[in-house]
Amino acid sequence: DLLQCKQILPGYPEDPPEIRLGHQFAESPNCSPEVFRCTVNKIPETNSLLQKSRLPLGILIHPFKDLNHLPVIQCTSIVRCRACRTYINPFVYFVDAKRWKCNLCYRVNDLPEEFQYDPVSKSYGDPSRRPEIKSATIEFIAPSEYMLRPPQPAVYLFLLDVSQIARESGYLQVVCDTLKSNLNKLPGDARTQIGFICYDAHIHYYLMSDGLTRPKEMTVLDIEDIFLPSPESLLVNLGEHDDLIKELLTILPQRYSAPGVPASALGAALQAAYKLMAPTGGRITVFQTCLPNVGPGALQSREDPNARSSKDVAHLNPATDFYKRLALDCSGAQVAVDLFLLSSQYCDLATLSGMSKFSAGSLYHIPLFRAQRSWQADQLRHMFTRYLTRKIGFEAVLRVRCTRGVSVHTFHGNFFVRSTDLLSLPNVSPDAGFGMQLIIEESLADLQQVCFQAALLYTSSKGERRIRVHTLALPTTNTLPDVLHSADQECIIGLLSKMAVDRCSSASMSEAKEALINAAVDVLSAHRLAQNLPVGSASSSLHAPVSLKLLPLYILGLLKRKALRTGTSTRLDERVADMCFIKSAPLCAVMRGVYPDLYALHDLHEHVRRDKDNLVLPNPPRLQLTAERINITGAYLLDDGDSMIIYVSHGVSPAFLSETFGVASFNQLPDEARSLPMLENEGSELLHAFVDKLNDDRPYPSSLLILRDNSASRQLFTERLIEDRVESALSYYEFLQHVKTQVK
Amino acid sequence: EFIQQNEDRDGIRFTWNVWPSSRIEATRLVVPLVSLYQPLKERPDLPPIQYEPVLCTRNTCRAVLNPMCQVDYRAKLWVCNFCFQRNPFPPQYAAISEQHQPAELIANFSTIEYTITRAQSMPPIFLLVVDTCLDEEELCALKDSLQTSLSLMPQNALVGLITFGRMVQIHELGTEGMYKCFVFKGTKDLTGKQIQEQLAIGRVNAPNPQQRQGAPTPQPPAHRFLQPVKQCDMALTDLLSELDRDPWPLGVGKRPLRSSGVALSLAVGLLEVTYPNTGARVMLFLGGPCSQGPGQVVNDELKQPIRSHHDIHKDNAKYMKKAIKHYEALSLRAATNGHAIDIYSCALDQTGLMEMKQCCNSTGGHMVMGDSFNSSLFKQTFQRVFAKDQKGDYKMAFNGTLEVKCSRELKITGAIGSCVSLNVKGPCVSDQEVGMGNTCQWKMCTFTPSTTMAIFFEVVNQHTAPVPQGGRGCVQLITQYQHSSGQRRVRVTTAARNWGDAAVNLQHISAGFDQEAAAVVMARLVVYRAEQEDGPDVLRWLDRMLIRLCQKFGEYAKDDPNSFRLSENFSLYPQFMYHLRRSQFLQVFNNSPDETTFYRHMLMREDLTQSLIMIQPILYSYSFGGPPEPVLLDTSSIQPDRILLMDTFFQILIYHGETIAQWRALRYQDMAEYESFAQLLRAPIDDAQEILQSRFPVPRYIDTEHGGSQARFLLSKVNPSQTHNNMYAYGGAMPIPSADGGAPVLTDDVSLQVFMEHLKKLAVSSTA
Ligand SMILES: [Zn+2]
Ligand SMILES: [Zn+2]
Repeated sequence: DLLQCKQILPGYPEDPPEIRLGHQFAESPNCSPEVFRCTVNKIPETNSLLQKSRLPLGILIHPFKDLNHLPVIQCTSIVRCRACRTYINPFVYFVDAKRWKCNLCYRVNDLPEEFQYDPVSKSYGDPSRRPEIKSATIEFIAPSEYMLRPPQPAVYLFLLDVSQIARESGYLQVVCDTLKSNLNKLPGDARTQIGFICYDAHIHYYLMSDGLTRPKEMTVLDIEDIFLPSPESLLVNLGEHDDLIKELLTILPQRYSAPGVPASALGAALQAAYKLMAPTGGRITVFQTCLPNVGPGALQSREDPNARSSKDVAHLNPATDFYKRLALDCSGAQVAVDLFLLSSQYCDLATLSGMSKFSAGSLYHIPLFRAQRSWQADQLRHMFTRYLTRKIGFEAVLRVRCTRGVSVHTFHGNFFVRSTDLLSLPNVSPDAGFGMQLIIEESLADLQQVCFQAALLYTSSKGERRIRVHTLALPTTNTLPDVLHSADQECIIGLLSKMAVDRCSSASMSEAKEALINAAVDVLSAHRLAQNLPVGSASSSLHAPVSLKLLPLYILGLLKRKALRTGTSTRLDERVADMCFIKSAPLCAVMRGVYPDLYALHDLHEHVRRDKDNLVLPNPPRLQLTAERINITGAYLLDDGDSMIIYVSHGVSPAFLSETFGVASFNQLPDEARSLPMLENEGSELLHAFVDKLNDDRPYPSSLLILRDNSASRQLFTERLIEDRVESALSYYEFLQHVKTQVK
Repeated sequence: EFIQQNEDRDGIRFTWNVWPSSRIEATRLVVPLVSLYQPLKERPDLPPIQYEPVLCTRNTCRAVLNPMCQVDYRAKLWVCNFCFQRNPFPPQYAAISEQHQPAELIANFSTIEYTITRAQSMPPIFLLVVDTCLDEEELCALKDSLQTSLSLMPQNALVGLITFGRMVQIHELGTEGMYKCFVFKGTKDLTGKQIQEQLAIGRVNAPNPQQRQGAPTPQPPAHRFLQPVKQCDMALTDLLSELDRDPWPLGVGKRPLRSSGVALSLAVGLLEVTYPNTGARVMLFLGGPCSQGPGQVVNDELKQPIRSHHDIHKDNAKYMKKAIKHYEALSLRAATNGHAIDIYSCALDQTGLMEMKQCCNSTGGHMVMGDSFNSSLFKQTFQRVFAKDQKGDYKMAFNGTLEVKCSRELKITGAIGSCVSLNVKGPCVSDQEVGMGNTCQWKMCTFTPSTTMAIFFEVVNQHTAPVPQGGRGCVQLITQYQHSSGQRRVRVTTAARNWGDAAVNLQHISAGFDQEAAAVVMARLVVYRAEQEDGPDVLRWLDRMLIRLCQKFGEYAKDDPNSFRLSENFSLYPQFMYHLRRSQFLQVFNNSPDETTFYRHMLMREDLTQSLIMIQPILYSYSFGGPPEPVLLDTSSIQPDRILLMDTFFQILIYHGETIAQWRALRYQDMAEYESFAQLLRAPIDDAQEILQSRFPVPRYIDTEHGGSQARFLLSKVNPSQTHNNMYAYGGAMPIPSADGGAPVLTDDVSLQVFMEHLKKLAVSSTA
């Protein structure tokens, strides 16, 4: 009974429901839930059963996640089903020593002789010893038939806004410094190329030919009819032109520190970049600080600042398809466009984001960026360093195959759908997640299991063609309680959030929110039906299966996050940035944003455990997001992935203050500090260890903000206490009450 | 002698030194009244005058006080010799007297130069426009020459750099930290206004209302592109040394895409918006034809050759008219702003000089044609652009206007030379037009001491009211210009000649005939005509003029050719015309259109002496017999034991006679006992060097011998008095009635003797 359960959040995260396959595959290794997971861990046999469960059916994939143990094999031929091209995997059935039966289409295939050869023991033997059979995630180094052309080199082009606003923001210094110190860490081989384009009212190219002692700026004034000023040396070999590149990165920030023109020809710059990159493919990185206002793709401000807290939200769809068309051209040429939006004003991200969405790019947003604010400069530096140094795959395609009877009908993420089950990913990053909604087209009654296989074919930064294959197998069921009890509530939230974002643009914000509430109502109604409980209005309690007990809480969290909240002033670009994040981030990151983790810091030493090396690790339990948990003698850390807010109540002990912050009293505590002093005492070290541990599992460290409970900005913390009522949105209890009345 | 004196003093020669007193008499003289004037003739002896000229106070006159004016020293008045206005002297002249005259009243200073000290001094501007579609060797050579030129330029001169290939780059000079250029498509023309806006020169863009207000918009000054040599020579040296060949890949069978048309347009536009009405020269270095965009003269398919005279004749030159239009428009814009355009064209094939000619012709810019930037012809010629005179001043003047005033009895019909009309009407301007008429002022964007203008006059007095005998007519030529030092200067030449009544005293007038000046003037006239129309009409006109002149001034008995005589000061004239008819100026089919253009360009600007060499080359003969002697330009001068030196202005040719050539082949010159032979061989070479040293542009130097392939250059010039054709040449030389009936035509390739015979026949004929 949700209404009775005040402390519903487990102190420590729980694993998704266990997957139990039939006896034949009971021991088979399944794919890690961090890579591949489904909204239910038992697939309903029929569509009607699925409908009864009222659960969304879908999978979430994090296909290029950084992995510690990834088996990589190189073989002359990769064993695949001749009918459906499925890669051999742990869930295939060996008919005999020479044949295997495909677990997706059930065709019986011959097993090549060399498959039985074990390169370790150098003998022929049991095929199940093969890495393909022993691991549900595997990577092949592909032979030449997997190449349409020689694997492309790593090519990086940076597009730098140098308009008036860009210069005022000071971002260029941070970006150039960061890039300069990471040049040798850029993924790539000896063929790696790099280039730069700056743009304001005009397009500035940088020629770095062999004979030059320093780079030469070539400016093209005509932005309506864009062209390349040189057929060569605008993209240059990174290794061979190290000096020129560093020189350029040193000069650029000075060069563009003087006042500039209030014009930004982003569209023309993108056209130029496309022309430059199209012959090879690669990655375009755009730094934009203002609304592009001249040349092709020029935009006009659409945001009404007075409508930032209104109930329905307009202008979530692009104002022009210019950026989408450009992205599709880029995609066709194996070029991805990544956008760093460092805006101090409205930039129409709803339109601009098209450049990344359809070219499989990434999107980063730091609102109101100013390099003078050192924490923002740090944030950009961390973000950009991770971006530069993370793994990258080029000219990639992702194909998801499902057991016959199940198919994908909607994709979520940044990509272009090239054919029904094939996603074109000019670049693939370890920070990109994808979602797919599924339908059951045929009865699965005679099946023991349903399998999904995701195969990512890409070119590594070293110029190797590789295929990463993930296979997930799930059992089937024919009962409603089974379905409900196997539900993966986090995965459901992951999928629902993506669906909600789509709904916002295809219908409206209010419809999307309505649909989310209905999702909670539906699931609880299905449970009521399965358990034969009274209807909500007739009951004093609201029951939920254990597997779904957090779903209403998470949905409330979802409704209150930036993407979907109404009634609270929210900048349009920040809203859209959050929507884009929801669509393309891996589940763990989405979840942290839906329901941030809250920890008490004042008694951190009471929650420690020792690791295998006997080191003390802080391990505090999570607290529910409600003011009830906030003690006036406490200090708390709220972690939403993007930032960590340390909230200090005024009654906290002086000992804690001096140990943690090195101050004697609450009044001496600086407000809105952006870093935690490193002090030589156990408490401080423990806290640092804790923050470090939290930062460990994300691409780059979250920014830190220290707030006093009397701070003017305290709402940054309190607005995240989502179980509490705020002016414009229900408290968790009210929300449950509302849901209860709807449960039928 | 009188003529020579005048030329030395005033740089002026008249076709007629006694002027006919009525209109009808003037027209009957056949050769019009024309002055050939060198506005910048070197006059190291001129006194420095730091004040401004005194002008006639009559508004419609404004002539400058000169030695021909009557002066009343007591009343401190002077009478204008053009309009007879009595003018008081300005206050600062209070101290003058007969013994104490200002320089401009001294008879010897009929040419005088004033330096206007209150005018702002402007250094000259050189805008280099460099073709990069060259092969490595050519580009290196050109870069070397350009580097050298930086040290030759006045160090305060502003200099700029534009390079082009498939694209056009305007280079910023002295950008800190990084060189910068602006790149333009070679296929898209920009107006001056667009250049101004896009390069943000001198104008602030209107702030965009969406962007923050009040943010300062930078206003980069024009000097990003044009900087004093002494400040930017490091940057320019760097830029030039890093200048690479046009990097765009070249397809098989393709010409490079060369954007000279847009490059020149950008150069003109850049100067137009930054330094209007200031002395400047665009120096275009061209290694091939413009093959795309505005000004295109050929496409990029190598299999399609550039137009020939034949194509033009057949109206088969696809790009020509449009290109000419483009370059003419540019020329006019440049000229209007006082900017000159030089074209240094070095290529084995044509580069489109024919289409571009107005750029040089209208602005006074140099046109130099060579085979290679690596030739001494180009290198030395280019260095000579920066030559200095005895005083150490550059021999180039900028942004000049020539104004002509004349006595009431005369009117100006026009001018032919490297200039454009300024369309200034005035009482001296005739309704008739010869050359560039309907004006009394012309713009000369740049000119040198040898620059010569032909100014045409007509006598306006009717026969019934001729100019009274004993009077003198006056002409005043006022040249205002920017001296290479930056000073504004005014040079004034006032010339006067007696009037004569041809009806009464024709001998008096004919004695004043200057046949050299007349030949040069007729050459300019006929070439000017040939530029407008092509075909035999032009030659026919020239023949008719010659015959009429002979009829008028020859002494003969009717229908008796043998009785025909011409007085000494007419005697050479037919010969000049003979050679002119045969010259490359009028016989175009042996040359490319570019060559024709180049030759004509030089003829239209050079001084009288050089022009005569062009019309009738000079031939010297060297022998053991004595010092070198001038010989007839005739086959008879070609002797086995002689060495000939021919100067055609464009070529210096040394020809070794058959025997001399044999001896030379046997290397007698290396043997001590034949020292005199070695000396003989050396003599013409030394003399040739002397000419080569002094001429602009440097002529082509040819060393050949009897039977040598290049001997054809000599053979094409000499009078074919002894050819195997002679025996049957007479038939071809008969006067042929022309299609329109009546007017006689002389056929082309006849000897001078045959030509003269027919001329006499026609002159004395009572029916012709
Ligand atoms: Zn299959
Ligand atoms: Zn007067």
